[in-house]
Amino acid sequence: MSEQDEKPKKNSRRKFLQELGIVGIGSVLGGSAILAGINYDKKKTAGQRVRVLTAENELLEIEKSDTTKVAKTTYENLTYLQKQGRDGLAGKRFVMVIDLSKCRNARKCMAACQNAHHLRPEQHHINVLKMEETENTPAFYMPKPCQHCDNPPCVAVCPVDATFKRPDGIVLIDNERCIGCRFCIAACPYSARVFNWSEPLNAQADKDLTYNVELNVPQRKGTISKCLFSADRLREGKLPYCVGACPNGVYYFGDENEDAVTNGTTKETVRFKKLLEDNGGYTLMPELGTHPRVYYLPAKGKEYPFQDKDKPEALEHLHG
Amino acid sequence: MLRKNIKLKVVFTVLLTALFYLQSAAQQGWDVPADKKVKNSYIKFDAASAKEGEAIYTKNCLSCHGNPTKDNSMKSLKPVPPDLSGAKTQQLTDGELFYILNTGRGLMPSFSNVLSESDRWKTIAYMRSFNSSYVQVLSKTDPTKSKLVKINMDYDSLKSVVRVHVTAAEKNGVVVLKNAEVTLFAARYFGRLQVDKTMRTDNNGMATFGFNKTLPGDKQGYVNMIVKVNDDNYGEIESQSKLKIGVPTDKPSLTEKRAIWNVLAKAPIWLIVLYTTGVLVFGAFLLFILYSLFRIKKSGKN
Repeated sequence: MSEQDEKPKKNSRRKFLQELGIVGIGSVLGGSAILAGINYDKKKTAGQRVRVLTAENELLEIEKSDTTKVAKTTYENLTYLQKQGRDGLAGKRFVMVIDLSKCRNARKCMAACQNAHHLRPEQHHINVLKMEETENTPAFYMPKPCQHCDNPPCVAVCPVDATFKRPDGIVLIDNERCIGCRFCIAACPYSARVFNWSEPLNAQADKDLTYNVELNVPQRKGTISKCLFSADRLREGKLPYCVGACPNGVYYFGDENEDAVTNGTTKETVRFKKLLEDNGGYTLMPELGTHPRVYYLPAKGKEYPFQDKDKPEALEHLHG
Repeated sequence: MLRKNIKLKVVFTVLLTALFYLQSAAQQGWDVPADKKVKNSYIKFDAASAKEGEAIYTKNCLSCHGNPTKDNSMKSLKPVPPDLSGAKTQQLTDGELFYILNTGRGLMPSFSNVLSESDRWKTIAYMRSFNSSYVQVLSKTDPTKSKLVKINMDYDSLKSVVRVHVTAAEKNGVVVLKNAEVTLFAARYFGRLQVDKTMRTDNNGMATFGFNKTLPGDKQGYVNMIVKVNDDNYGEIESQSKLKIGVPTDKPSLTEKRAIWNVLAKAPIWLIVLYTTGVLVFGAFLLFILYSLFRIKKSGKN
């Protein structure tokens, strides 16, 4: 019994020492692990958490280190651009005011526009026309972009919903949907639309670009192109390409809801309704009931005379 | 008699010369107010600022004034824009050049909204770089002092005025800014809409602007107001605050109404009714034909 009693004692001491060793090493290891964990947590500051919007429109907050960047496919990019292009800018109603008394036919607006939208020299989203309306009235220069009508005949005739009006008033064309039937060209009373009869200007250079419905780039053969009020620039709070390029203060652009328009040259902002009221603003062909969003101020007190070399073209309009 | 004649001639000549001089002065003079004439730049005109100015010049001035010293300005304009390295321009003070840039005249636009104050001075720095005999007089404005300025803004709906109070927290207590130039703007999507005229603060550091309550604000009527203060000692200071002074504006989107050009869900009711009835009637007619054929076949069997 005594031997038996001793054995377990011996065993228990060895066991005790063994266990002590295990526990000791274990606790050192465990402690250092916890310490490392605490240090790791300390390193993570609040700034390293990011908010992500999932495809299901859920806003989540996760560790930045847990995220991996996934490149969007061309198709996803295109869908995104098309959706944003249709949605427009909430709460806005864009308007343009063109002061004919200031236009000196510098054609800087046309150059900036064609450059931005990769147009051929004969294709115009905006065109400065030489006008003489009757034999006894003076000739003048008249820039003419798309009128972005509130009752657009072009949109009504489109059989495939390619051209559409946005909540902010802009009429756009989606070249991915356009079938090239040209009904809209026939319907537009302002001749604002152009057709890509041949390969577009920068076809080769643009072929890898994702189509942006707010820029109409890349242009596509066999489809329509038109003035977009530079919808891509408006999204950034910038004035349209033509408006910013004018050296003579012809264009005002703004938001009707804010009752303010900003001059593209002087960047001076004035009240929209007062500008029209003080200067006798009007729209083109109001009798058609198209309700344009482009307003004109008459060519009263021109600071620059109509050039003789432009007379024949003006008379062409007059005599047809 | 002869003497009298000479006298008359002299008087006549003097008169004519004076008239001529006056007329040319009216054509050329810019009528710069005395206090603007002596304004100086707080930016040092050196090679670096001139280089920055050159970029601004190329973008904003070159198309009319041409390259300095090259005499290639746009000659078709009236009056012909002068070569800015020329003696006529260079004899003007910095303050005069700054005023001309700010106000513009005739065909020359104002640049006060296009370029910031520092950019305007840099443009002048570039113009001065063509004048070897020019010696700059720097403004005494200490740009670091602008941080001391505090601008308060409130709206008095009874009198429909916006009051702007400008003070500076100096070491020895708060001082009011007297006779400082104050401009009030309402922020708009593409720019700043000036409210009333540019004012000067009174002896209490207060400037009062008339504000008629017709300006559209956001849905609740808030308008983001911007105050720009320009003081000889403290420089240019800007402050923004949201005031509930606009007309609450919440216009529906332009695609809200049912119209023939709108999307399918927003088509006019009459169109939907007409189209649906048409399809149903046509479908029913087809069914009727099929039913009749079936009956003919059945009677044939019998």
